[in-house]
Amino acid sequence: MKNDHPALVFEDVSKSYQQASGTVLHALQHVSIQVPAGKKVAIIGRSGSGKSTLLHLAAGIDVPTAGEVLFLGLNLAELSDRERTLTRRKNVGLVFQFFHLLPHLTVWENVVLPGWIAADSSNENDARARDLLGRVNLLDRARDPAQNLSGGEMQRVAICRALLRRPQLLLADEPTGNLDDENSFKVMELLVRLVEEEKSTLLYVTHSLELAALADETRRLHSGILE
Amino acid sequence: MIRYFLRDLFAQFRSGRSLFLLSLLGVALGVASVLSIQIINLNALGTFQGSVRAISGEADLSIVGRTPSLSEEIYPEVLSTEGVTVAWPLFRLEVALAEEENVLLDVLGFDLFAPLKLPWKSPPAELSAALGESGWIAVSPGFAGERGWEVGDRFEVFSGSRRVELRVGSLVDFKKAAPLASRKLAVMDIAQAQSLFGNVGAIHQIDLTVEEEPERVAAVLQERLGPSVRVLTSAQRENQATNLLSAFRLNLTALSLISLLVGAFLVFSSTQASLVRRRVGFGLLRSLGATRGQLFGLILAETGFLALLGVALGIPLGYVAAVSYVDQVSATLTNVYLLEEIESLVIPAWLFSLATLVGLSGAFLGAIFPAMDVSRKDTRALLAAFTLNERIGAAAHPLFFGGLMLLAGAGAIYGLSGEGWRPGGFVLALGLVLSIPLVAPLLVQQGARHIRGRGFGFAFGLRGLGQQLQTTPFAIAAVAVAVCMMVGVTVMVGSFRQTLEIMVDSTVRADIYIASKSWTRGRTEATLDPQLVLDLASHPGVRATDRLRQLFVYPLGYLDDHRISLAGVDMGLELSEARFSLLEGESQQAFREVREEGAVIISEPLSRKFGLVTGDRLALHTLGGEVEFPISAVYYDFSTEGGSAFMDLSTMEEHFGPGEVSNLALYLDPGIDTERAVDELMTRFSDRPLEIRSNRLLREEVFSIFDQTFAVTQLLQAMSLLIAVCGITLTLLVMARERVSELALYRALGAERRQIFRTYLGKGMGMAAYGLGLGGAGGVILAFILIFIINRTYFGWTIALHWPWASLAIEAAVILIASAVASIYPAWRAGRTPATELRREDI
Repeated sequence: MKNDHPALVFEDVSKSYQQASGTVLHALQHVSIQVPAGKKVAIIGRSGSGKSTLLHLAAGIDVPTAGEVLFLGLNLAELSDRERTLTRRKNVGLVFQFFHLLPHLTVWENVVLPGWIAADSSNENDARARDLLGRVNLLDRARDPAQNLSGGEMQRVAICRALLRRPQLLLADEPTGNLDDENSFKVMELLVRLVEEEKSTLLYVTHSLELAALADETRRLHSGILE
Repeated sequence: MIRYFLRDLFAQFRSGRSLFLLSLLGVALGVASVLSIQIINLNALGTFQGSVRAISGEADLSIVGRTPSLSEEIYPEVLSTEGVTVAWPLFRLEVALAEEENVLLDVLGFDLFAPLKLPWKSPPAELSAALGESGWIAVSPGFAGERGWEVGDRFEVFSGSRRVELRVGSLVDFKKAAPLASRKLAVMDIAQAQSLFGNVGAIHQIDLTVEEEPERVAAVLQERLGPSVRVLTSAQRENQATNLLSAFRLNLTALSLISLLVGAFLVFSSTQASLVRRRVGFGLLRSLGATRGQLFGLILAETGFLALLGVALGIPLGYVAAVSYVDQVSATLTNVYLLEEIESLVIPAWLFSLATLVGLSGAFLGAIFPAMDVSRKDTRALLAAFTLNERIGAAAHPLFFGGLMLLAGAGAIYGLSGEGWRPGGFVLALGLVLSIPLVAPLLVQQGARHIRGRGFGFAFGLRGLGQQLQTTPFAIAAVAVAVCMMVGVTVMVGSFRQTLEIMVDSTVRADIYIASKSWTRGRTEATLDPQLVLDLASHPGVRATDRLRQLFVYPLGYLDDHRISLAGVDMGLELSEARFSLLEGESQQAFREVREEGAVIISEPLSRKFGLVTGDRLALHTLGGEVEFPISAVYYDFSTEGGSAFMDLSTMEEHFGPGEVSNLALYLDPGIDTERAVDELMTRFSDRPLEIRSNRLLREEVFSIFDQTFAVTQLLQAMSLLIAVCGITLTLLVMARERVSELALYRALGAERRQIFRTYLGKGMGMAAYGLGLGGAGGVILAFILIFIINRTYFGWTIALHWPWASLAIEAAVILIASAVASIYPAWRAGRTPATELRREDI
């Protein structure tokens, strides 16, 4: 990967879906945005504005109907499904609104899961997980089942999981959408701090102006159109 | 609600075809398994009863002897008994066709003026020919057609060493008299039959009609004729085979029911998965005013629909399975029980009702608990996130202890009833089988917790099993029940075979064994003439000859219908002791008592069934009246479950009159090649109807019959296993559907399709491994129950425990491979889950 490229570029990207009724839903229309490496960009939008679609395209989970999504200079649409998966595994961290921790795994196991998926069970990985959990003050809960944590704690674990593989790009989909106001700000501050410490890039979507203010740049998404 | 039901049903099918088809297959295979065995059982009895009806259909009562034949002298006495209107004697024996190997004809000699139901084409003309023409015999059109025979054609038959020429005098379709009558039935004039087959004056049965209550006349006749005969009503006559085959039929039925139970697990899993998926829909129905009863009815109606489709599929499958079993069962009927073979399979209408009942019961058994669970929930709970997994997790301990209690309860019932109540062993086995699904959730939960492993693959998939308790324990239980049956039966059959091998090694010592071609079922009449015996005994190289004469008798004072084999052998023979392996009794003293004091030795099944032990007496009716023979020993015997006894030839002659022997065993001089000697004997006696077998060939035939007897068991095991493996596919498909968010998360975190494929393969193999472990442990206990309890109480056989490790290892490998194959499709589907499926739901 070349580091002189922007971390993420959307060039005139559109995404539409054929619905069961036959009508076409335009989730994103002619979206263009650049996310420079090391920067934090927030996307503000209401429900159904296309925020999640945008993150899916950024992560290579989905491909655009038109336009190009360039990740570190690579056109994701030109990669096979497997190549996109491996690119995501190596370079992208994901944080979700509903945390998506696996309840049958412990806190520590949830954090190291991306390492296991990457067939990397090295001691370095384990040390990294311990380090991250220590930085979010959850090291003493490492052996607890994930389902025993509070919402704020779960999201802190999810952030650790997303950062485990030192991703160049962290994508967060309403990371505080399932938390109360007090926890929301704390978790978002933590996320931003960790991204800065890791020298990573952050693209997150939120409907909170207050949380969006933590970013270097804020864009608004409305009915699939980026303003 | 009915409209909703129909719309919902269609939508169900469209959205979950794989689940629907797998549960349908579970019901269908369960029905097929039970139905096939019932078809076989019914036709096995029906063939016997059909022949009885064709022969004695008009008779109110039949008189048969306690010894193989009756004296004609009692005939006038029967006729003169008050209440008897008509009586006619019957002569019956099995003969072998000279031109074909192993084809027997059941020849019935009777008074042609007797009121039989036989559908003669032109009675007067045929009757006259039947009386006047030597060898005239009426055979069935089917039997004649198979051989290209027409009326007037001649053919030869053998009865023992006797060769008789017969002529096809008429074609009589006995199936018109009784649909299940054997096509091998043939009739001729009784006097001709007696004369041609060398039994002048002997009859085997007297049939009669009465003008008042048959039971009353039967009692009068029994009183008048004494204990040398048995007077049977038509029901008693037909029930003879029922009693004879009861243990054999019960065992097959029990095994087939296991398949149904395994099928019920599939219905349980699929119903549960379907209900969990549709919980919000049910919540909406409830919020719109549907009652709990309506919801419950809706779910059961769906199950009923599934069951009826399963029955519709299971009936033809069951018939096909029955057709595939029929040869093996027929071989067992003729070889072990000396009954007629099953010639055609008839399915009476009531069997369709039974199949429907079985299918509905199995499906409702699987669906009732999930249906009750969902219908009892209030609307709010249905609309909220479902917590079934947690509830099963919480219930794992109580279920486990419930399973242990069930097993303990079954053990207590068996312990309290003891061997006096034969079904006690089955209660114990049933308790074991039913406890398996109850203990499974806790074992899965605990097992999954202890799996340690780093990495995302096989072990990761295994760990997840404990997290999906709403489905996995039932799939594991299905595999475990099938494995339990497989291991139990495999160990039992392996032990039996090994025991038989040891017994055959120690008792089958002669070099050459000789019997007539009609001996297979003819036995008593299938004798060898004395000159032939002398010729065989004096053949160059023959060092000693062991002679055996066999009769069938009904012991006095025990079960009235119980026929045993009574054999006479030369106990003075130097090698006689080696012929028997004794269970109790001191051999030298026992054989001396048999030789010198007229004692008998009895088989283990006879000992167990009648409670007879060494020192007791066996009461038999002889020519001189009732005689109690002292029992000097009990010997191991696996040739028949009916029981048998041996006495010295001289004792038999003294009490049952002179008679020819039916079997010879030849001991050759040292150094003589046995196979060569067999060839020489076959060449020298090629014109005589003899079966001459070397020791090696006899052993091969013994084990061939043994393997044939258990072939059906193996098919039933395979069917159960197939259903269980379908359960693995079904469970993995349910997981792949219900855990979409989890799968999407893995994909989002960078998991490749093949990695998810491997985790699902791990889950499938894990379920199989759990099933193997749990079922294997249960199977070992079941093997003990089968060997030491059920076999002894039902068949009277002592089997030494042997572990057929090779067979068990192969079966385990087959199960693992089958499970891996069964996991491929759901694993492939799981791997194709896109990361975009990550929904706003909790994982």
